[in-house]
Amino acid sequence: MSSVIMEPRKNLVCLGAGFMSGLVAAEVARDSHNYSVVAITKGPWWDYVSDFSTTKYDEWGVGLGRKYDSPLPVQSTTIRNSPTQFALPVRRYTMPIQYHALGHGVGGAAQHYGGTMGRQGPWGYKQQSLSDAAYPGKLAQIQPNNDLQDWPLDYAGYEPYYHKWELVYGLCGTNNGSPTDTSSDMNYPWMDPSYGSKYPMPPHPLTPVATQFRDACLATSPPQGAKFTSYHPFPHVSSLASQPYTNVPYGVPVNPCVYDGYCGGNCNYACETGAKANAAYRTIPAAMATGNFKLVTNAYIFRLVWDATSHTVTEAHYYDAQGNVHIQQGDVFFNGMWGYNMIRIMLLSGVGVPYQYNSGLGTGTGSVGRGLTNGYAPYTGTAASGTLNIGANSYSAGNASGGSVDIYDLMDDNFDHTNLNFIGGAQIGMGGYAGGGPGNITLAGNVSPSNTGVGGTFKAKQKDKYLPTTTNVGATPFAPDIPTYDHYVDLDPHYTDIYGDPLSRLTYDWTANMYNGATYLATIVAQILTKMGASNVKVGATPAQVHNDWWGHHLRGGCRIGKDPTSSVFNSWNQHWLSGAPGPNIGSNYFAAGEITNTAGDTVPSGTHVAGPQSWRAAEGIRQYLQTPGLLTP
Amino acid sequence: MSGLGKTRAFMSKTTRREFLKIGLAAAGGALAASGMEIPLFSGSNSSMQTQLNNANTQVINLQNQLKTVTGFLTLSVNEQALLEPIVETIIPSDSTGPGAKEAGVIYFIDRQLAGDYGQSANMFMEGPFIPPKVPSTANLSVAPSPSWVALPSPVGGGGNATAIAYPGGTASPRVGAGINYQYPLNLRAFWKAGLEAVQNYARSSTYGAPFQQLSGDKQLALLADLWAGKPATFADNHGTIIGPVDFAYELSFMTWAGFTMDPLYGGNQNMVGWQYMGFNGVNLGNAYGEGLSQKDLMVATTPTRLKPASLAQYQQAAAGGA
Repeated sequence: MSSVIMEPRKNLVCLGAGFMSGLVAAEVARDSHNYSVVAITKGPWWDYVSDFSTTKYDEWGVGLGRKYDSPLPVQSTTIRNSPTQFALPVRRYTMPIQYHALGHGVGGAAQHYGGTMGRQGPWGYKQQSLSDAAYPGKLAQIQPNNDLQDWPLDYAGYEPYYHKWELVYGLCGTNNGSPTDTSSDMNYPWMDPSYGSKYPMPPHPLTPVATQFRDACLATSPPQGAKFTSYHPFPHVSSLASQPYTNVPYGVPVNPCVYDGYCGGNCNYACETGAKANAAYRTIPAAMATGNFKLVTNAYIFRLVWDATSHTVTEAHYYDAQGNVHIQQGDVFFNGMWGYNMIRIMLLSGVGVPYQYNSGLGTGTGSVGRGLTNGYAPYTGTAASGTLNIGANSYSAGNASGGSVDIYDLMDDNFDHTNLNFIGGAQIGMGGYAGGGPGNITLAGNVSPSNTGVGGTFKAKQKDKYLPTTTNVGATPFAPDIPTYDHYVDLDPHYTDIYGDPLSRLTYDWTANMYNGATYLATIVAQILTKMGASNVKVGATPAQVHNDWWGHHLRGGCRIGKDPTSSVFNSWNQHWLSGAPGPNIGSNYFAAGEITNTAGDTVPSGTHVAGPQSWRAAEGIRQYLQTPGLLTP
Repeated sequence: MSGLGKTRAFMSKTTRREFLKIGLAAAGGALAASGMEIPLFSGSNSSMQTQLNNANTQVINLQNQLKTVTGFLTLSVNEQALLEPIVETIIPSDSTGPGAKEAGVIYFIDRQLAGDYGQSANMFMEGPFIPPKVPSTANLSVAPSPSWVALPSPVGGGGNATAIAYPGGTASPRVGAGINYQYPLNLRAFWKAGLEAVQNYARSSTYGAPFQQLSGDKQLALLADLWAGKPATFADNHGTIIGPVDFAYELSFMTWAGFTMDPLYGGNQNMVGWQYMGFNGVNLGNAYGEGLSQKDLMVATTPTRLKPASLAQYQQAAAGGA
């Protein structure tokens, strides 16, 4: 017999226990007011020693079976490319596409990500206004139905939070732009040295391909119209610890990466040393240490209760493992659920104004679900490629993104776009050594009508595949995705989760800006490849626009922070705007942060790092609100 | 049951013959005088000791193989007889090295289909089941879920509570390809239908004989047909129609998985798949006392071949055994 259980009221209720909730929980629990905090997650607690150290080297179970990840029979999502299509559900994680699984439990998807981090530069926060000022009419020309907005704060507003976030989660890298000087830790031009913005750990050792890329960048002339006189290569910024570390200011000890290679490879692998930064091994321990924090695992949140009079969330309802319904009341609610699940629980609960697309007008109203973009597009655009005369151990050795070198010079407005048909650009990186990943499944998963995997000819090509004597290098440098009115998240009218509630439905396709950017940038990358000494340098023919079939794991937008309450969901404190709800705007107790509270950006694929400072700002806002409830002043 | 006899004969033919060969070789030179053909001793450049060592290794390998898998949990005799030549066509045993046969791919597939994989245990299997590619002339209308319609306002604001028309022919090909599996069948049932459909196609006028009896070229051609979307009607013995490309994906994918996944799952026996591809398994640089650092291996510019180690070996070492 299941029953309804009323939980003790808490000052702060965190929905989910991943990157964002972990930080907010730790910051609020550590406040001198001894606030009580609970975090509720649908999955278990993972202990990296006992849970991963002997069972993670299992490509079939982890990479394909997704044994540590969110089970699809409980909940999936549906996807389509346009509002006139019927959205089909994702039924399995593989075949023929390797879908990226949601995380499950404490630490969330960051239990298995690649650890790519990097700040978003000033341009990313003001894409819309800067583009309109520099290139009047261009945005509308590229993407007539664009719904691009500036962020509510600019880069300077987020810089202090970036710095704190990087110390807590533990990043490694050096951004000095010099190939030899790794001591100064001056940062990339926009990073203000006065903050002492120094990554707490040195970068991972560079691979031979990475050093060759770095040297080639320094020896290559920037493209015509560049606003810089030379490229600025620097080691990849990673959240995989490069040495033993104790995080600041929490004092949580962190083990370094062991470069075992069962790490990247479609971001499949959990880390057996805890070197891969996530909430379970960085922030949740700090929250626990306060004695003010409670962690609820294996609990599936299915509703929030919204009080239309007070404009507050009053309760979160969840099922436990026995099927009991628990009611958790709180003063403040923070939504740190992954991606579209953040939107879904709001739509299921009547929190905010759902976005509704009007196909007749080609625009839409409302804000929850609006402005979905994707920070990752593996099939878009034109690739530049070549072959280096460098051998490698392409089996499992290395870490997810470590060892590579990046340049930011070909993104943002770092070059003149007057005669180009796109805005922004791409972060280009090379030499990342994920190991084989182990990568067998890359082979198995890549079989296709043009590459059927059948017969002796194909088999012969796999001989000693992991012991290559040459290395293929290249990039698919797509420009940023631009939010449009017809890309959004809503509730699916046909498919439900195991409890009978509608799944989220993604209406999304890749946008022209991504393609146009790739076509141009691939030729620039090809120049660098040539300088690297690569043979057979090619720029692939511009493909006909293919369509998204990707169950996006690098979503941005859909639940944006902004300046305008009618088109964004949260204000600059990541506090709910009430989204045009009737009555005076008295300030809600509902906050959220995550990849999808970003607007479109240009730096890293996932946007996690860009969301991180938002969670810190939300934590500050929540502490203010707990003292003085009301609308926080920007 | 001629099928049963045939399969059993196949099973024992290979293993018994090889065991005899190697067992006799290992027993030493005395048998050389018996007049039996012992090919292991035919090499003129090897010393007797080396040959004996090789033979011993092969005996151990074979014993390990026999210990692990020789039976079937779910594949029927007819399915075994058909699937063996299919996986051996996909990854042939040839001059470049061992193939699906030596790796025991069929046992990997059998165990997967008998377990969670076959039961689609980690798949989302709620209806409605809509074919991803609607014929271009069709317009499909699907009523909304009653449970969704019943949700209180304003929950419904994000969706469209009326039936949604799927305009035939306008769906992008990638939408169809990407979220491909939309069958109301678990994967075991899908494989049963698919294997029957392959056999029906082989027996059709296009090829005219059971798959096992076709020439190697014809077998390759038939698999290529599936990838090209042929035949137009790909159906099992009772009229269940599936997409030939969908099943071709399954065949190639699972065969390569059986060649390359950890031996714990029944395929990649004796790690022959990993050895063929130069993959190290869970040898993180010191499984056999090599004393190599993963960090060094990561930045090397000439490849170092590591003898692969399996997950079971790794776990035994981690537990202080081995």
